[in-house]
Amino acid sequence: MSEVDRPSGMDRRKFLTVLGATGGGALALSGCSTSNVEKLVPYLVQSEDQIPGVATWYASTCTECEAGCGLHVRTREGRAVKLEGNPEHPVNQGKLCSRGQASLQGLYNPGRIKAPMARKPDGSFGEITWDDAIGRLAAKLGAAGGKMAVLSGAGPGTFSDFLAEWTAALGGKVTRWSPFDHEAIRAANRRVFGLDQLPAHDFSAAKYILSFGADFLDTWLSPTENQRGFAEAHGFSDGEVAKFVYAGPRRDLTGLNADEWLAVRPGTETALVLAIANAVATANGAPAALTGALAKYTPAAAAQETGVPADRIVRVAREFAAAKPSLAVAGGIGAQHAGAADLCAAVNLLNYVAGNIGQTVRFGAELASGDGFAGLDQLAAAMEGGQVAVLLVHDANPVYALPKAFGFADKLKKVPFKVSTSLFFDETAAQCDLLLPQHHALERWDDLAPRAGVRSLMQPVMEPVFDTRAAGDILLLAAKKAGGALAKFTDASWEARLRGRWQALATERKAGNADDFWRAALQHGGIFDEAPPPATVSLAASAGEVTYTKPTFEGNGSFVFLAYPHALLHDGRGANKPWLLENADPVTKITWHHWIELSPESARTLNVENGEILRLTSPHGSLEGPAYVHPGLHGEAVAMPLGFGHSEYGAFAKGRGANALDLLGAPKGDFVPYLSTRVTVEKTGAWKKLASVEGVPRQLGRGIAEAIPLAAARKGLSLEEYHLEERHGEAHEINPPREVEALKGWAEGQQRGATKGDYTRDLPHWGMAIDLARCTGCQACVTACYAENNIPTVGEQEILRGRELTWMRIERYWEGGDDAGAPPSARFVPMLCQHCANAPCEPVCPVYAAYHTADGLNGQVYNRCVGTRYCANNCPYKVRYFNWYKYNEMAWPEPLNLQLNPDVTVRARGVMEKCTFCIQRIRGAQNQARLEDRPIRDGEFTTACAQACPSDAIVFGNVRDPQSRVTAIKQDPRGYHVLEDVNTRPAVTYLAKVLHSVEA
Amino acid sequence: MRTLALVVGGVAASGIAAVLAFGGPPTQAQQAKAAADSITAPVLTDTGALKGPRQPIFFRHDIHAGQFKLQCQYCHYSVAVSPEPGIPSLQTCMGCHLVVSGSDSGGKAEIKKLRQAWTDKKPVEWIRVHLIARHAHFPHQRHIKALGPNACTTCHGDVDRMPQVFKVNNVNNMGFCITCHIERKVTRDCSVCHY
Repeated sequence: MSEVDRPSGMDRRKFLTVLGATGGGALALSGCSTSNVEKLVPYLVQSEDQIPGVATWYASTCTECEAGCGLHVRTREGRAVKLEGNPEHPVNQGKLCSRGQASLQGLYNPGRIKAPMARKPDGSFGEITWDDAIGRLAAKLGAAGGKMAVLSGAGPGTFSDFLAEWTAALGGKVTRWSPFDHEAIRAANRRVFGLDQLPAHDFSAAKYILSFGADFLDTWLSPTENQRGFAEAHGFSDGEVAKFVYAGPRRDLTGLNADEWLAVRPGTETALVLAIANAVATANGAPAALTGALAKYTPAAAAQETGVPADRIVRVAREFAAAKPSLAVAGGIGAQHAGAADLCAAVNLLNYVAGNIGQTVRFGAELASGDGFAGLDQLAAAMEGGQVAVLLVHDANPVYALPKAFGFADKLKKVPFKVSTSLFFDETAAQCDLLLPQHHALERWDDLAPRAGVRSLMQPVMEPVFDTRAAGDILLLAAKKAGGALAKFTDASWEARLRGRWQALATERKAGNADDFWRAALQHGGIFDEAPPPATVSLAASAGEVTYTKPTFEGNGSFVFLAYPHALLHDGRGANKPWLLENADPVTKITWHHWIELSPESARTLNVENGEILRLTSPHGSLEGPAYVHPGLHGEAVAMPLGFGHSEYGAFAKGRGANALDLLGAPKGDFVPYLSTRVTVEKTGAWKKLASVEGVPRQLGRGIAEAIPLAAARKGLSLEEYHLEERHGEAHEINPPREVEALKGWAEGQQRGATKGDYTRDLPHWGMAIDLARCTGCQACVTACYAENNIPTVGEQEILRGRELTWMRIERYWEGGDDAGAPPSARFVPMLCQHCANAPCEPVCPVYAAYHTADGLNGQVYNRCVGTRYCANNCPYKVRYFNWYKYNEMAWPEPLNLQLNPDVTVRARGVMEKCTFCIQRIRGAQNQARLEDRPIRDGEFTTACAQACPSDAIVFGNVRDPQSRVTAIKQDPRGYHVLEDVNTRPAVTYLAKVLHSVEA
Repeated sequence: MRTLALVVGGVAASGIAAVLAFGGPPTQAQQAKAAADSITAPVLTDTGALKGPRQPIFFRHDIHAGQFKLQCQYCHYSVAVSPEPGIPSLQTCMGCHLVVSGSDSGGKAEIKKLRQAWTDKKPVEWIRVHLIARHAHFPHQRHIKALGPNACTTCHGDVDRMPQVFKVNNVNNMGFCITCHIERKVTRDCSVCHY
């Protein structure tokens, strides 16, 4: 059944009734009829912190990855409707990535387990009551006789402490594990510095960044924080741009942001790092022991191993040594081969000899991580050996997230009684005997200590959507029921226990009144101390033992198989959230399905084109998928994203794509080597159109994503001046005089229109500036736009027909790469309605649905629109989107509909829609300013995209206000308008990307 | 003074007789208001003949807002700060009706229903009278700010004379909005309301 034919599970009427409780909001274009009887259902008792029609914000913490970013949750009428970053939070400082924002779709996910369930004798699940469920758990715990174990993915905090205590009381052990536990980095830190911890990285201070396969903008450690720092360093400010060189077999989003790509042979980065470290050590005068150990790693040897020319290695090493401070990073999942710990250790040495330790690499930050794969392996062995009678799985899905060859599912079968607290019916829950669904992070009390000095709080921002319980309450109830060793846990509730812990914390910190302390912490999202000063570290005795070993790969296929984390789906936990599926992969621009990447050379050799279904076979399995030719892939590798191929995990994820882990062997040691097998590539003869939202992959001279060399930017040249200089002073008229005349006449006509009515009033003029030197193409803005503006996800079938509705999209253009051996680079451009002053969409609308507002917006009046689509045809930026079907009734199966923003109309079929510059926020701010008899202050509000942008590349404001930030940025000489020569006079100014010239 | 041309035909026609019985249609009511500022709400037995949709509880605005002169904002508490006027919670009703149990048998019966709802923890499901289509946004607070706290009557009519609320103006008709916006020389930009 196609997505369009899917019957809608959404009961709009029910939602209207809920909404009617406060008599507000806009839902669907239901016409002007008021003949329907609508009910107004009042509260029994009015909550004191809710005003109907006005958003209430709560501070909370994101649990989508280990980084622990702070959240501000916008609620309306008791429902969470939008997640934004908490500006006070030291980790993300007000910004939030796509995955964090999509946490909302986890809360309202239709695939959530709605009540406790137990396996019936016939193997199926049946709902039971909580009393019954807790009773069953308690009985099994009593009978386990200490043979119990817990697998938990929860981050450090009061809950994890409690879980450990609770499990210890039963004689069991908690294994803390998540699929990307950064074990290689920790192993390397143990070896080189004798420290078992993850350091914090300060990208913002670095003047030269070297990444050896670390996707620090996608999934590596703390992506939002990294991105902010990276934008600080790599954006153009005060004439400086840090240079970023990426070394690895595949350019992911992080790699595409690099000024230079060193396409190393898969698994050989260590040789490169050691050669660079050698050169830097010599230049900087490192300890003799170290220089001695490094001496044998010459650029020539590294060139031999990696395939990167020796002169480039020498140059990069020279540049790296000269820039202080610099930063080298490694440990990305996509580059995690068997020697990954060596690689990270070598990078540690490089940072050490470059003097970056304590500067850009700060130990003592105690970033959170689990026990890693080694811990899980021990647990699995215990399970297999029959030493586990009761297993509790909390916040983890090992059955999906480990290679099948590891056989976790079979080992799980050896455990007589398995309990899951998963929110979702995932692969692991499907194998359990008792499902005790816990609250979503937005529904429960909790705290998280993701690093030293940060203790971040979570609070219930709304009533639970389903009949679930906080995991802490489940443990406490079980303790009460089971008694015995658990009888000491007498807290009335999980909330009480957490409060107790915070009371102790208040005393510890001599906070005076514990209640005030608690309230202040809740309001601010937690307690945030200054980051501790970097710990002084010294080289461990084993530091000099870092060596390079030639990588080996299992099997004898002709390609090395590179499985990497999907930028949006992460380890697969995002696969049940339609925003993350519809939002295109930033590199390939493919939505909703998996793909297999080939390098252009391999594609030529194999005669493969985009969309041909390939079969990959490794010694451990085989899978099929459509081909995508990625110019940023090493010729010896084929690559595939992780995160697809779920066999459970809700309707959105189940059966979608194939799981790259199926090709991997059983991991041994500290971590899962994702880069460990060879595969054969066969053509199946079948073909699939890629559900890609990419238009033309090249700019073709249209000047959409402009760039300017650093030298020209330093001189303060405008793009026009730069182009003139580039052409050696040869003038180039874009429009011939006749066109200029015609355009002028038209513009005058438009201006005449601006002398009437509202247009004469002294109103703000809304504008935007987007700095392409800062933009990384991460797509957090796109997700924010979906969330803010009730944009329906249309599904794979509709995207194949070119009917996506993404008001804001990131266009990725390949640049250069025409010469053999020089791979193309990428440029990213966020593209949204340009709100042109001379808008081509406006005059062609026969019903005045598209028109120019007095405050400079291209208005789109949905209720006037009759769907001629002339406007979209006439838009040179292609930013208008049409509702071909009743997406409004299909995109939000219950209870996803509860995520809808009541301030924004949900568009019906047959209506054109587009970016409104978040007009609901503009009007909201205007209403508030009017109530307070003041003008709108600059920065008082901003659009959803600008709010979310982790690199702060988007600035929105009133361009008529000479003091506003956007006005100042628009003055930048790098500023230009896209398709300026069609004379649309856009309100969006782009600042050209600044390019480092690759010195020869 | 605005005419009543916009009143929805069917509802108005069937209700005229009943309205006359307690003081005429709203135009006359407004004139009457000028003459005598205090009213005594009539005792009503035949509620079926009243204008407007029949509500689950016969809540009388004419008694609360007219006779007892409760401020509109006592119950519609968020009208000056939010786009939504706010519907009083049952707790607000019970604030008085815990002690006030009605003076006549009709009133007593209705208040009993309210108390029952409070005991049962079941909110009263009022029938909505005024509804603006969902593609239009009407920020109540802006209008109260511009027209004053007693400006409710501009759109809703003399609710303080209505035993049962009915639509005086079709607030869902854009002409109704625009007429006023033209008269007062304020914005007529589409996107001020439609977004």
